[in-house]
Amino acid sequence: MEREGWRLSDKEWREWVEALLRAGKLVIAPVKENDLLLFRHVLMADEISVSDQGKAQWSPKEFLFPRSEPLLIYRLRGAEVDLEEPKADEREQVLVGLRPCDAAGLSRLDDIFLLEEQDPSYAQRKKHTTIVSLACDRAEPECFCTAVGGSPAGTQGSDLLLLPLDDGWILRVLTPKGKELVAGWAARWRPALAEDWDRTEERRSAVENSIQLSPLSAQWGTALEKSFGHPLWESLGQRCLGCGICAYVCPSCSCFDINDEGNSFCGTRCRSWDSCAFARFTLHASGHNPRPTQPSRYRQRVLHKFAYFPDQHEGRFMCVGCGRCLRLCPVGIDIHHTVERAASAASPEEERP
Amino acid sequence: MSENPYRPHLMRIVDAIEETGDVRTLRLKFLEPEIASQLHWQAGQFGQFSIFGSGESVFTIANAPSRGGYIECTFRQMGKVTSGLRNLSVGQVVGFRGPYGNHFPIEEWRGRDLLFVGGGIGMAALHAPLQFALDHRDEFGEIVVLNGARAVADMVYKEEMKEWERATGVRVVRTVDPGGETPDWNGEVGLIPDVFERLRPEPDGRIVITCGPPVMLRFMLMALEKLSFKSEQVITTLENKMKCGIGQCGRCNVGRYLLCRQGPVFTWAQLKELPSDY
Ligand SMILES: Cc1cc2nc3c(=O)[nH]c(=O)nc-3n(C[C@H](O)[C@H](O)[C@H](O)COP(=O)(O)OP(=O)(O)OC[C@H]3O[C@@H](n4cnc5c(N)ncnc54)[C@H](O)[C@@H]3O)c2cc1C
Ligand code: SF4
Ligand code: SF4
Repeated sequence: MEREGWRLSDKEWREWVEALLRAGKLVIAPVKENDLLLFRHVLMADEISVSDQGKAQWSPKEFLFPRSEPLLIYRLRGAEVDLEEPKADEREQVLVGLRPCDAAGLSRLDDIFLLEEQDPSYAQRKKHTTIVSLACDRAEPECFCTAVGGSPAGTQGSDLLLLPLDDGWILRVLTPKGKELVAGWAARWRPALAEDWDRTEERRSAVENSIQLSPLSAQWGTALEKSFGHPLWESLGQRCLGCGICAYVCPSCSCFDINDEGNSFCGTRCRSWDSCAFARFTLHASGHNPRPTQPSRYRQRVLHKFAYFPDQHEGRFMCVGCGRCLRLCPVGIDIHHTVERAASAASPEEERP
Repeated sequence: MSENPYRPHLMRIVDAIEETGDVRTLRLKFLEPEIASQLHWQAGQFGQFSIFGSGESVFTIANAPSRGGYIECTFRQMGKVTSGLRNLSVGQVVGFRGPYGNHFPIEEWRGRDLLFVGGGIGMAALHAPLQFALDHRDEFGEIVVLNGARAVADMVYKEEMKEWERATGVRVVRTVDPGGETPDWNGEVGLIPDVFERLRPEPDGRIVITCGPPVMLRFMLMALEKLSFKSEQVITTLENKMKCGIGQCGRCNVGRYLLCRQGPVFTWAQLKELPSDY
């Protein structure tokens, strides 16, 4: 494979980020806050925490798909109505230090927001965003990227990728947008050598091999769909509290709500994150709820991600295996385990792919 | 036109008909007349109607495309948004975005007998295809409309039904649930699926178009089964909650379908393939 990349010291790539900041770009990166690793706007490259090998507490999706954002502003003058669209965000932003699963999660958001109908604010932000990911040196207990087609050095959704070495980094260029972000630096930097690349490959396979959770197959979609009426779902979803934490921390969850905030003179139409775990997600005004119980809502979460979405998107799961939902679910619900259980319950051993 | 799919077209309420104590039909005209000529829809499609300050609600476009130049909706006051709409009067402005969703396959109904079965506000969803059939009367066979309500006062399209009956080869059957009749009621008394069975419609060459609350649908399908209708002959439209209308908010997902795109109109045959998430 044709690979383009530079061999950098920690100091060198931080200098580069410093220059991006000086050039007026917004830089968003993992920062240690108390004991949590969180994506934050940074003012100095030194704030960025890459030595901690874990992933950030939450995914960085909010920088492309905010928790809440205005879609429209309205004002009433007597019987007349004036509409105003919020100003497009045109600042250039660079997301630095995303784990490959988080970058892949953003490409799932592309599937939702850019594929058929363009979402104007997402499209605008995405246009002004460059993504610099960070390959993993170690898998955390909850990680299962390899089970869903990812890798600790995966490139999907990234423009540039930092690959760790014992004594520094390779900054790998993946897209024209990534190349543009390093324009002018090539003269100062040393290209990565074949042996550097080899060492990153060794690291990648070491991390990959350390991931214990078994692969999930896109062909299980049919089995999962067949599991819909299986009594097993009652026990799989019974513990679910309906808190929605799993959706909020997930890099690929994208369901949202739209509501007017204001009064009958002026106000804002807002879009905000939502979760299929909430009863109100599907509750009709009449009181009828197509998914009346928590297990039926948990089943939707799983089937949407592992059966329905892949069916519409060339087999891609709407899960990138970051494991955050396993780690943060207050009652320890494990989505990987659920998929295995449900798929095997619905199809006899010999039919399983 | 704006590229922002969330920016609605502004429309003025030009007429309002009180259907029942909580159902009203509105006629809306575009503030920008050129939109009216650009907007094409088909019977069965829906719109997102904005009531500024309350929010957006999904209603079927109640008028057939053959009656263009304006948009009609028949809505029942339920919660926040529909109460906001209820408070508006003729002359005030609302928003409309759409049309969204698939539509009734009317082209496939040519030459067939049509039986419309609507329960309560469900009748609103049948209004456009019925109007289309009436506007193209000679292209279809016998037309029967079964309009049911809980009580006499809840019957929608009371005035219009008289007009429908005047067309040739159209029969209108009105029914109210037992206990919902008044002393001078001369229609049927009985639950819609029961009255439907009593009509003993011949399945041969007939299409049944039905919409109503989930329980009614369930019993209707049982009655249809009993009368030997095939699942391809029966068509309905679902009402899953939806917000964006453009396949992104995730709310209307049922199985492999997003109802706002691949629905809301489904044949009974398709319903059988869907998980029961509606
Ligand atoms: C395809 C389709 C066609 C419809 N056609 C009609 C019609 O012609 N006439 C009619 O009276 N009703 C129709 N409905 C139902 C109508 O959309 C709801 O009754 C209405 O949105 C309730 O809003 P609310 O704010 O008063 O209720 P609330 O319970 O206060 O609603 C809060 C929010 O949920 C949304 N919501 C609640 N129930 C539904 C629902 N069943 N479907 C979609 N969104 C919902 C509302 O839009 C609102 O944003 C249709 C629904 C669908 C999906
Ligand atoms: S985090 Fe766990 S308890 Fe909360 S909604 Fe998700 S699965 Fe249910
Ligand atoms: S479903 Fe869970 S493991 Fe999968 S991407 Fe979302 S948070 Fe990560």
